[in-house]
Amino acid sequence: MSTSSRIRIPRHTAWVMVWNYAKSRVLDQLKSVSFILLYLVGFQILVLGSTPAHALRIAGGIAMVVMGLAFFLEGLILGLMPVGERVGVQLPRRCGIFLIVIFGLLLGIGSTFAEPAMASLRAAGSTVTAWGSPLLYSMLNQNSLALMSSVACGVGVAVAFGMVRFFYGLSIKPFIFVLIPLLLLVSGYCAMDENLQSILGLAWDAGAVTTGAVTVPLVLALGIGVSRASGKQEDAAGGFGIIMLASAFPVLAVLILGIVLNPDMPAPASGADFFHERNLEHALTLFRSESAMHQHALRMAGEEARAWFPGESLGQLVTNGTDFLQPVPGIVRTEGLLALRAILPLTALLLVVLWMLRDRLRHMDEVVLGIGLAIIGMTLLTTGIRTGLAPLGDQVGRPLPRVFRSVAKEEGRVTIKPFHPKDMWTSFSTESAPTQFFYLTDKSGTPRVEPFDPRQYDAGSASYEHILESKPLFGPELTIAGIGLVFMFAFGLGYGSTLAEPALSALGRTVEELSVGTIRSSSVVRAVSLGVGLGLMAGVARLLYDIPTIWLLLPPYLILLPLTYFSEEDFAGIAWDCGGVTTGGITVPLVLAMGLGVGGELNVSDGFGVLAMASAYPIVTVLIFGRVVRSRQQKRIREADLEDDDE
Amino acid sequence: MSDEPTASNDVTRITCAVHPRLGTQVTECLVSLGSHTVLVENARSVRQRIRPRAWVLPGQQVELENSPMELFRTTVPRDSALQVIEILTRALELHTPGRGAVYAQNITEYSQLEPPVILQAPAQESTAFRDFTLINGILSKAGGGERLTESALRLGACVPIVTRGFGTGLRDQLGLLRITIPPEKEMVQLMVPAQDAAGIQRLLIEDARMDRPGGGFLYQTPVSAGIVDPLLRIGRQEHAASMEQLIAAMDEIKHGTGWRKRFADLEESKRDARFVTKRSYSEITLVCSEGKADDFVLAAMNAGAGGATTGRVRCLSASDLEGGVGARERGVICVPASIRDSVVRALRDTSRVLEDPLCRIQVLESFSVFFHQR
Repeated sequence: MSTSSRIRIPRHTAWVMVWNYAKSRVLDQLKSVSFILLYLVGFQILVLGSTPAHALRIAGGIAMVVMGLAFFLEGLILGLMPVGERVGVQLPRRCGIFLIVIFGLLLGIGSTFAEPAMASLRAAGSTVTAWGSPLLYSMLNQNSLALMSSVACGVGVAVAFGMVRFFYGLSIKPFIFVLIPLLLLVSGYCAMDENLQSILGLAWDAGAVTTGAVTVPLVLALGIGVSRASGKQEDAAGGFGIIMLASAFPVLAVLILGIVLNPDMPAPASGADFFHERNLEHALTLFRSESAMHQHALRMAGEEARAWFPGESLGQLVTNGTDFLQPVPGIVRTEGLLALRAILPLTALLLVVLWMLRDRLRHMDEVVLGIGLAIIGMTLLTTGIRTGLAPLGDQVGRPLPRVFRSVAKEEGRVTIKPFHPKDMWTSFSTESAPTQFFYLTDKSGTPRVEPFDPRQYDAGSASYEHILESKPLFGPELTIAGIGLVFMFAFGLGYGSTLAEPALSALGRTVEELSVGTIRSSSVVRAVSLGVGLGLMAGVARLLYDIPTIWLLLPPYLILLPLTYFSEEDFAGIAWDCGGVTTGGITVPLVLAMGLGVGGELNVSDGFGVLAMASAYPIVTVLIFGRVVRSRQQKRIREADLEDDDE
Repeated sequence: MSDEPTASNDVTRITCAVHPRLGTQVTECLVSLGSHTVLVENARSVRQRIRPRAWVLPGQQVELENSPMELFRTTVPRDSALQVIEILTRALELHTPGRGAVYAQNITEYSQLEPPVILQAPAQESTAFRDFTLINGILSKAGGGERLTESALRLGACVPIVTRGFGTGLRDQLGLLRITIPPEKEMVQLMVPAQDAAGIQRLLIEDARMDRPGGGFLYQTPVSAGIVDPLLRIGRQEHAASMEQLIAAMDEIKHGTGWRKRFADLEESKRDARFVTKRSYSEITLVCSEGKADDFVLAAMNAGAGGATTGRVRCLSASDLEGGVGARERGVICVPASIRDSVVRALRDTSRVLEDPLCRIQVLESFSVFFHQR
């Protein structure tokens, strides 16, 4: 649209306008990131007693995260969401339901391939061993394309179903009441098979992770457009519920894939049995080559693996260096390409559809700018996460087990020379048992009591090799306080990282807009964050106590079904969508760092399931939040009707 | 102005603002009376909630509480307006504070559809008041709307009803620089006693700091009859009847709100030129299928209009739906009366080009327009 006259703004005024605009956006994001940042650094300094390493690089990364979030969100608001909504409004006017379903399928499948969550799933499964969970290992490696395709099909079917739902104005509740029990039943069936059991966490995590930062706002906007244009749903908040479907269908798809692949898979066994000669051929089906098998065994089991292959030379373990200290320009390049891949094809698809519908956008320049901002934003955001936020999370998450571990761990060795036995002191227990100790001055100059270990003393050279141990923070006995601290950490991590999640903030804005401000974006975000915090606590409980995934997923979903039944249509849609939105670019790397830190220490086979919890519990909190809001409003109506005072 | 096909009708627009739970009741009531189209817009009402201070501290604290509302708009022949208001008032018990509000405004409507024939019911004595004025505020979302509603509540004006929309106008003439100005607007409606409207408007402008650049746009439109919701405050009540109940009762006894005149000193001659313009204006409302409002707004702006605020509404009755699509846009344009005819003509030409049978244009006089002027 061109207007008759155009106002020319002096350059200085224009700069002031742009500056104020940019400042407010960046400050908003700084605020949303500050909690998780202060929390991580505070935890590291106060509880773990260390300071962030590579602080300058991390600070640069965090600055990129803040700028990236500001750019990306603005890009979503200016470019992606208006295009999605416009297509959504135009589709039901010009096309039949058949074409809409085809379009939904394409968009869903396209979005999964555009924004693959495989990287984070692989990271969660980096501790999976081929002998411990062969099916899971195969799905993450050899059959990863099949896994991704099944997830893509799941999302495609979900978006198509969502379109049908909006087109005919159907309620989300029947979908929930059919899908969720079905998922739980299939999961229950899988939990009984030792091989299928291992993919439960993967399946539920795949559901949670697939709906990425680009897909969510786009699909949400599209759904709202279709819902409004078909006009059959009288409800103001019609348009929600599609993300829930896009989280649930992939779970089913992955479980079905697992059930299909299962018959050909070797059974889980100990490493020695698995690679035993009579099973070797079966085991080899999981690997590309024999040397790949040897490498895997060596990497996962260390020197112990050499015993499993008698007479074979396994060679040396080839390790891939961490990518943390890669040069930033390289990371920017790879992340930039990924951002292009995530954003361009999807928006191009929508723009082509819009062109085919012979519709035009009002402000094409704004949309183009928005898409550009989204690409720049996503590049900055993901680069910043890789160079700043994730390493920071890693520095806190990995040493986290120290706070609950009851066994001291070797940190290094020092040789004291000369060392004379006369330097030692003796103390007696109440049973008159003597213990010998000596003093060692630590870095701060304080002498500390260290027990004497005769095995470390070499009388010939008069030297003593002292083992420096990192002590459990709460002493060898006090693990309960430590475990409490881990739970607290998990809660804060979930709460804080969700506050900064861009897809959630897009969802919150949409909710606020549709409810004309009666439901504030900030309260939705807080309710969701609370849920993610609780979910992470459940996830950590799974790791700490090795509780089967199904037992942690069942209770929230069993609570959810009646809660959904009694809640209002709009809140049901919003709440279930929040579940799918929560696990995005910021939460996932932080959660994985913590999950792997805790899980690795406890030798849990994989870090899966934590994300699934982080996506189930927010639904509970948002539904409860919805009930509280509604009951307050109803109380007000009652007050108005009866003039009673129940303050 | 008389060139067809869209004929002009002198009709009355009925607006009913109630909680969404009462929505079905309103639609059923209106449809049973014979109304063929009901436009629904999501809104919120804002009230003060009084609660004791936390931590057993002495005193009370006042906070704003939002609750969802739906605005139902329909047009009826002028002679049936009072009857429709009466039936709605009784059906929805609108005399009880807190239930909602309803008001009628006489407008000229250009539409291909004839106004509905309202079924005549046995005559009932009208309980609606005739001395109200509607103050309409259009403010930017970032804080502006909230300040105005807060001020209105503090001044005891009425329960503000807020809807959301998008502004076009000056913003669109800035090129890409427009993205620095958020398009989201909040439209605030305040139904106040006519004799106090000028005084309340002046206080609102001062209190909500609207006399600054970007402060917003305020104007009044006449209300021919209406029932107002007096429940401004909720929460702790220390007397057998609340102040709101007493005011409602007095209004009823006195058959109007004239007894509560507050701004006695505000003579016409003393009106501050800073707060109102003397020119007369017109509020032009257009309703069209979603996605088409831009064409109308462009046409209006080419004809001299400064800008428009568009919001999304749903069309509820099924009889005239275009293939079942209920999404509509409602644009509000406030123009000086001198260019009203040319703007309306431009809008009607656009509607003819688009051949949109659902499009309707409503014109209503407006006055006391205020916006920041350098």
